[in-house]
Amino acid sequence: MKKRLGIISFFVIIFIAFIIVWNYSYEQGLEDAYIPMIEKPKGSFIPSESVVFKRFNSDKVDYANMPIDENYQRMLVNYYTNRAYPGAPPSIPHPIKNERSVGGNTCNKCHENGGFVEKFDTYAPVTPHAEKSNCRQCHVTKNTRETFKAFAFDKKQAPKVGKGTNNALLGSPPMIPHQLQLRENCIACHAGPSAPKEIRVSHPQRTNCRQCHLPKNNRSTQQIDASKFIRKFDDLNER
Amino acid sequence: MYKSISGRRDFIRKMAMLSAMTAAATMFPGILFAKEQEDGIPKDANLDWKKGPCRFCGVGCGILVGTENGKAVAVKGDPNSSVNRGLLCVKGYHQIMCIQSKDRLQHALVKKNGRYVKTPMHEALDIVANKMKGTIKEHGKDAVAMFTSGQSTIPEGYIASKLMKGAIGTNNLDCNARLCMASAVTGFLTTFGADEPMGCYEDIDHADYFITWGNNMAEMHPVLFSRMLEQKSRRGAKIIDFATRTTRSSTASDKSILFEPQTDLAVANAICYEIIKNGWVNKSFVKKHCNFSKGLTNMGYGLEDNYKFKDIPEKINFDEYKEFLKDYSPEKVSKYSKVSVKDIKYLAAIYGNPNTKVVSYWCMGMNQHTRGTWMNNLVYNIHLLTGKISQPGNGPFSLTGQPSACGTAREVGTFTHKLPHGVVMNKKDREMAAKIWKVPYDRIPAKPTYHATEMFRAVDRGEIKFIWTQATNPMVSLPKTGRYRPAMQKESCFVVVSDVFPTPTSDVADVILPAAWHIEKSGMYGNSERRTQHWDKMVEAPGEATEDAWMFIEVARRMGYGDLFPYCKENHVEEIYNEYRKFHAGKKHNMAPLEVLKKQSGAIWPYVNGKSTQWRFNAKYDPACTNGESFHFYGKKDGKAVIWQRPFEEAPEKPDQEYPFWLNTGRVIEHWHTGSMTRRIPVLHQAVPNAYVEFHPDDAKKLGVRNGEKIKVTSRRGSCTLPASINERGLPTKGQVFVPFFDENMLINDVTLDAFCPISKEPDYKKCAVKVEKA
Repeated sequence: MKKRLGIISFFVIIFIAFIIVWNYSYEQGLEDAYIPMIEKPKGSFIPSESVVFKRFNSDKVDYANMPIDENYQRMLVNYYTNRAYPGAPPSIPHPIKNERSVGGNTCNKCHENGGFVEKFDTYAPVTPHAEKSNCRQCHVTKNTRETFKAFAFDKKQAPKVGKGTNNALLGSPPMIPHQLQLRENCIACHAGPSAPKEIRVSHPQRTNCRQCHLPKNNRSTQQIDASKFIRKFDDLNER
Repeated sequence: MYKSISGRRDFIRKMAMLSAMTAAATMFPGILFAKEQEDGIPKDANLDWKKGPCRFCGVGCGILVGTENGKAVAVKGDPNSSVNRGLLCVKGYHQIMCIQSKDRLQHALVKKNGRYVKTPMHEALDIVANKMKGTIKEHGKDAVAMFTSGQSTIPEGYIASKLMKGAIGTNNLDCNARLCMASAVTGFLTTFGADEPMGCYEDIDHADYFITWGNNMAEMHPVLFSRMLEQKSRRGAKIIDFATRTTRSSTASDKSILFEPQTDLAVANAICYEIIKNGWVNKSFVKKHCNFSKGLTNMGYGLEDNYKFKDIPEKINFDEYKEFLKDYSPEKVSKYSKVSVKDIKYLAAIYGNPNTKVVSYWCMGMNQHTRGTWMNNLVYNIHLLTGKISQPGNGPFSLTGQPSACGTAREVGTFTHKLPHGVVMNKKDREMAAKIWKVPYDRIPAKPTYHATEMFRAVDRGEIKFIWTQATNPMVSLPKTGRYRPAMQKESCFVVVSDVFPTPTSDVADVILPAAWHIEKSGMYGNSERRTQHWDKMVEAPGEATEDAWMFIEVARRMGYGDLFPYCKENHVEEIYNEYRKFHAGKKHNMAPLEVLKKQSGAIWPYVNGKSTQWRFNAKYDPACTNGESFHFYGKKDGKAVIWQRPFEEAPEKPDQEYPFWLNTGRVIEHWHTGSMTRRIPVLHQAVPNAYVEFHPDDAKKLGVRNGEKIKVTSRRGSCTLPASINERGLPTKGQVFVPFFDENMLINDVTLDAFCPISKEPDYKKCAVKVEKA
């Protein structure tokens, strides 16, 4: 009897200890799980800021050490021929491999990092937004040269480029004459062998492009027009 | 950078040679840059290039200004400047455009019957001098005050100090650097006993890790950030961004760590806790070169008028410090800082690893903080515990926001408690100043009077009857402008404003004095790395616009102090500098002579035996070290730096039910401070024409706010209406909104709180509670 009581009380003690230990560690576990952390931004956050630096961080392309192949370089006029108007998504000027595909990896194979394509005898242009994989949502093929009806769309002149055109002062860094949406990654079009000759940057090793180059007109959607000083100093007083 | 080649075979053959050339070019990008800029200038342009420092931030880039027929027409980076090596930022490249602005102040204006009337300069100066004299006679010396700037040149600051403290005999002199650098100063003084960073920008070329504390360098110190990015791509140096908001800097850095506002105090202590716990303390360094101290806690926030505080330091030992840190284990701190334990340990491991070189950078995030002095101390603690200080690539580095916050505000000492050498409280320092200024020793009062915020409170209370502001725009930049704007409009105070452009501050003036801009006068600025830079006048100022220093001198003469100001108009800048240099003679602070400054693109003080001292307190580089050890913190009497026990304390105002958001304010790359210059530069204005309020997308969604919509931001003090900005320039954390403060049409400082650090008296613009609603 005594022996049995001893065994029972031994197990009771073990069981109580188990409950205490289990409770203690459960409480601890709860506390840890409760710590509220600041959520790290995910996905496409502040694209106008983050995408600028993107391609520089890639170990696949070394923009600083990219020579130019003059025999195969693109000209700005060809760049714009391929677009309905400046800023429109370019059409696809070559036959495509898989008509049923949205694009994605098939296009990105050449257009993510560029490189010489023997088949088309040219350097593949690099996309500034390789993370968008439904390419053919915006980019379509060109299967006829004809138009359905006569056509009166007035194609806007492309922004002028060249020395002094977009500069505010002699020799100052040129401003950005185009919109930035989906073109935040400057280096994609402005450096490398596929970059149009006229807009190729001389210093692709500089990563913080917008330290010196600003868009000409940045904000158009806001409700408040505050582009002028509202103080009435000039009207009221002698100068 | 590009080399053109013809054959496809050449392509490959020339690759190796080319990459070697590119590597060389990246090492000296400035040389290439300046050359490229020159290519953009027509051959027939006959430009005359003159060197100087940039007008804007505290980085102090060297610029070359091209003038033609007496007009400034171009700017390029100075390839000979070791600061920027030929590169500038967009503000720097276009800076000279502002002086052509059509609303430039060209004549003195005196307010008569509510209108400003054009007045000849000599008459306006008569009015100012008479008013100042009359006020002193009627109400005493302490009824007149002067509020200057970290943009004043060294001679301007020096003359302001000599006029107020030496000639008139009042300590009513403070400057806008109180709003941006004061916590850095008190941080340096409490820890090292000597102001300004020990290292220099060359640290960037040596460091393995850059840790930025609440500092968006990509926008605020872009040229230094570009130097860091260069090291990142060349050597694999890492940038870690520790901040309360995701910015351009966060996206360019290797790792971004976000924390809850105000908890940086706790995280810094947690890093020290980990360093000690893991045995990463550099024991011999700490034993030889460090003391431990604690000060008073629960200091308050200076929200009430006439608030006074004096810290009482008390020595402690290492074990007491260790005991104190027990409250700051990463696990405990993680709960309220919302930084993961892993990230805290990661930061500690970087500092703790004896084989990595680490530089910490900070600017307004740590300085504009109600515990700013503590926060500065805490970062020094980390560097002192690990001995990572005063060596190439290792050290804490406090950045400045104004071009001469160091050179003028801190070195000349245009603060109420300062003298060109030392402080007014110290008898020896007063004696030295009196001797050089040739004034009776007892004329300089021993008691400091008003710091910036308190100065404008005194205007409001009617204690100050005359105030003169120079090169600053306090009606936009002070916190809680809703109180101080009506204060300045009161009849009881006569307001004189010297400026280049009309600003909201000149709107409340009784007399407006037209000032010459940067390149329209000669002068010197001192940048963040103790570099003094000189420039010569390059173009004439329009109309009657005059050098600020000369306006001070003219008024001093009219007040009867002519014998103390015996300078000639043509050469006053050089005469003043030579007089000022006497204050800093000696190995600890010697300033470079004028001939040197004219010849080269700046020199770092202490300038000893014809050499700049790049790393202070390190016997290898600093000839002022005399204790025979490898380091000597000679600012303190016993030659030891202090590791401070500073706890975490809450912010004075936190979001609650009624005001549920944190409001953070700051800057953008395009605009500089209150925008009075940059908004007059078309390139910059067109890029960012107005301020905005940034939301986290989730908060915007919850409130139903769309991009561009009008939003009213309201605090207990006032409100401001701005367009919303969602997922554009920056991304505040959830529960936080951010507003840049440059826009005088949308005065966010009507909303901010005028709480300040009790030790430095610097206001906290980064934290207060607001509500937001559609307007």
